[in-house]
Amino acid sequence: MMVTADIAAEAAAPGADLRDKIVVRNLDFYYGRGAPKALKSVSLPLKLGKVTAFIGPSGCGKSTLLRVLNRMYDLYPGQRAEGEVMLDGENLLNPSLDLNLLRSRVGMVFQKPTPFPMSIYDNIAFGIRLYERLGKAEMDARVEQALRRGALWNEVKDKLKASGLGLSGGQQQRLCIARTVAIQPEVILLDEPTSALDPIATARIEELIDELSDDYTIAIVTHSMQQAARVSDFTAFMYLGEMIEFDHTKTVFTTPRDKRTQDYITGRFG
Amino acid sequence: MANSLYVGRRARNSFWAALCYAATGFGLLWLALILGALLWKGAGGLSLDVFTKVTAPPGVKGGLLNSIVGSLIVTAIGLALAAPIGILAGTYLAEYGRHSKLSIVIRFVNDILLSAPSIVIGLFVYQFCVVPVGHFSAAAGGFALAIIAAPIIVRTTEDMLGLVPNTLREAASSLGMPRSLVIRNVAYRAVMSGLVTGVLLAVARMAGETAPLIFTALGNSLFSVNLTQPMSSLPLIIYEFARSPYPDQQKLAWTGALIVTVAVLGLSIVARVMAAPKRGER
Repeated sequence: MMVTADIAAEAAAPGADLRDKIVVRNLDFYYGRGAPKALKSVSLPLKLGKVTAFIGPSGCGKSTLLRVLNRMYDLYPGQRAEGEVMLDGENLLNPSLDLNLLRSRVGMVFQKPTPFPMSIYDNIAFGIRLYERLGKAEMDARVEQALRRGALWNEVKDKLKASGLGLSGGQQQRLCIARTVAIQPEVILLDEPTSALDPIATARIEELIDELSDDYTIAIVTHSMQQAARVSDFTAFMYLGEMIEFDHTKTVFTTPRDKRTQDYITGRFG
Repeated sequence: MANSLYVGRRARNSFWAALCYAATGFGLLWLALILGALLWKGAGGLSLDVFTKVTAPPGVKGGLLNSIVGSLIVTAIGLALAAPIGILAGTYLAEYGRHSKLSIVIRFVNDILLSAPSIVIGLFVYQFCVVPVGHFSAAAGGFALAIIAAPIIVRTTEDMLGLVPNTLREAASSLGMPRSLVIRNVAYRAVMSGLVTGVLLAVARMAGETAPLIFTALGNSLFSVNLTQPMSSLPLIIYEFARSPYPDQQKLAWTGALIVTVAVLGLSIVARVMAAPKRGER
């Protein structure tokens, strides 16, 4: 009887038929000693090759959750996470884990475009050089490939030596995505990647996310519910540090189980 | 209808603005007078001899060659010691030690050093580097200048690295870049002009220092490039010749003052130009 019940529960879990890339279990997060929990026993899977959107009002912990997935919080002493975050079966909260290797597998793109103060070419080549020793021709090819994947190649192919800081905001953000893709990560984390961009640049980035989702597991934090609906396969709604609801995006936006989810997506708060 | 509140506010605004302009003008007036006097008294003495002959006793035609070369050498020693220490310590404060208690202590001590009278630093180096050896030396002079310059570079380096947005560090780290590379290739690069400015300002400060050299490099009327022996320098020779009763030497003192001032002014201008944001960048 027990076994049947387990199978039934599993079948009911959203996306149970898909492979998990990352599984978060009972994750607590603290911003400092004695600080209140910023994440309260959060659990959810990120499905392999799918886009998962984290939505919720400001301060609900969605960016915090994202920053646990590549241990970005580790740059700041005092911040700590408890629980389990399994990446391909390995707990990435393990203190002895090599963070640089982790981050080469789990890339991140930030809210504000962050090109490095160097040429467009070097912005891409820099990350590649950290892990691979390539000849000039090979490197040129990799840079072109990355810029093409970032949908930026046609705009910059004649000025690869120009500073990355001279590009427009939308171009800078695509450069950052290309830079992340260039080191061939397995997971890409996007932290409100379009909130500083105009609608046209936003549309381009969304198309890009759509294309990338064939090859990467993607998690995106967004304040725009339309964006979550447009680009994601799964949606996680968070509120006050808790994971309220995780389901197929279609289900969350049409027939949410929780009252709070419904209130949020219908604009009643947040 | 003019509101009385508004009229009053405008009157007060004009009054304080006028005071600000007056204060600025007053400051600039003295700067202009100093530069004018230097040019007036010093430019006349400029000749090839100044750069090719060494300082001479009264009555003999001399120049400032040994002092100019001495200034360059002593300042170079100070720079070679202070720049690496200053930049590394500033990097520690801004990057690795940002949250540590040790940093608060270091910052405090650095501020004390920054405002320590230069003659005290000269005395300190005299006790530690001149007395034990038994004679004055250019090396001791350079060391004293380094103690003056290092805190300046520590401060400017820390301030400049503090301007690097954390998001840039996070972005670099998110590619799996080790901390040392993030600092060298991203943070330094982002504020390179500011770092260089800090070093140039420290050089300008060293070039004009007299007090710490009196007890250390002492001065030398002969041409010398030996670091273990006393060495002349421009501020020292200005100090010496300006008190001289002979008009020839007084004239050379003015010329030396002009050279130091123009050099320091030039360095400052280079530093400002470098620090100015380039076109096409933020």
